[in-house]
Amino acid sequence: MTSTEAGAPSAATVETLLVVDDEVLIRLAISDYLRECGFKVIEAASAEEAIVVLEQSGKTIDLVLSDVEMPGSMDGFALSAWIRTHQPGLPVVMAGSPSRAASAAAELCETGPQLSKPYDTQLLIDHIRRLLGTRKASPAATFPDASQSGITPLL
Amino acid sequence: MNELQSRTEMSPRHKTVLIVEDEILIRLLLAEELASAGFQVIQAANADEALRVLESSVTVDLMFSDIRMPGTMDGLGLAERVRSTWPGIKIALTSGHLPELPAGAPADLFIPKPYQPARIGAALHDLLGSGTNDLN
Repeated sequence: MTSTEAGAPSAATVETLLVVDDEVLIRLAISDYLRECGFKVIEAASAEEAIVVLEQSGKTIDLVLSDVEMPGSMDGFALSAWIRTHQPGLPVVMAGSPSRAASAAAELCETGPQLSKPYDTQLLIDHIRRLLGTRKASPAATFPDASQSGITPLL
Repeated sequence: MNELQSRTEMSPRHKTVLIVEDEILIRLLLAEELASAGFQVIQAANADEALRVLESSVTVDLMFSDIRMPGTMDGLGLAERVRSTWPGIKIALTSGHLPELPAGAPADLFIPKPYQPARIGAALHDLLGSGTNDLN
């Protein structure tokens, strides 16, 4: 997992997260998991939406969890760069795959408002995989995972 | 208890509302209000995302959609699709451009914009017959 922290949040409590992902099923699974851990979660479908939230919503965001590959003019790296410039000190965690996003969420839950995880990371990953697997027309999944041989990892 | 509760296993008394709204600030405000009103909320930014959710294993009881949205389908097209494919899902539509629904539009409720997000919860509970009395 690529993790870029623009500033140490050690003194600040992380309470509100901004989850950015253009895949709605992953976004909702990760967000709901984080809510179960006690976080307030705001969801954005793109880097552009994330910036509107950060600039105009009036909400205090403590940490951004973002997908890397997103369509549009800005991907996760571009969003991270924007945040470093405009909101330095706001931590950004980037996850290049659903399983990395699940791991990142599990890590956040370790020190979240509720000190216990609602359930195992693997259950979350399986849940995401099931959700994605039930789509009628699903493109090839590209999750880097030992159990899926022959799949090209994204990151 | 650390059991994963998938949406399909959630208490049936907590109804699930799928919000379809392309304006992020409106969407997040509405999501917060409806969560406070006792709904499970799913947020979609456009019709494509809404269909992705609807075609998955996620249970949706009601779809609350804006009419004018960018992308392959607007809210009316989406409502038509939902009505024909998933007739059990209640449909509420909103618009800042139309004072009322076009005749024959497939919706159970129309809410013109601007609306008070805090009052949408009650309206949707009424539509679903799921007032707070039912939630325990």
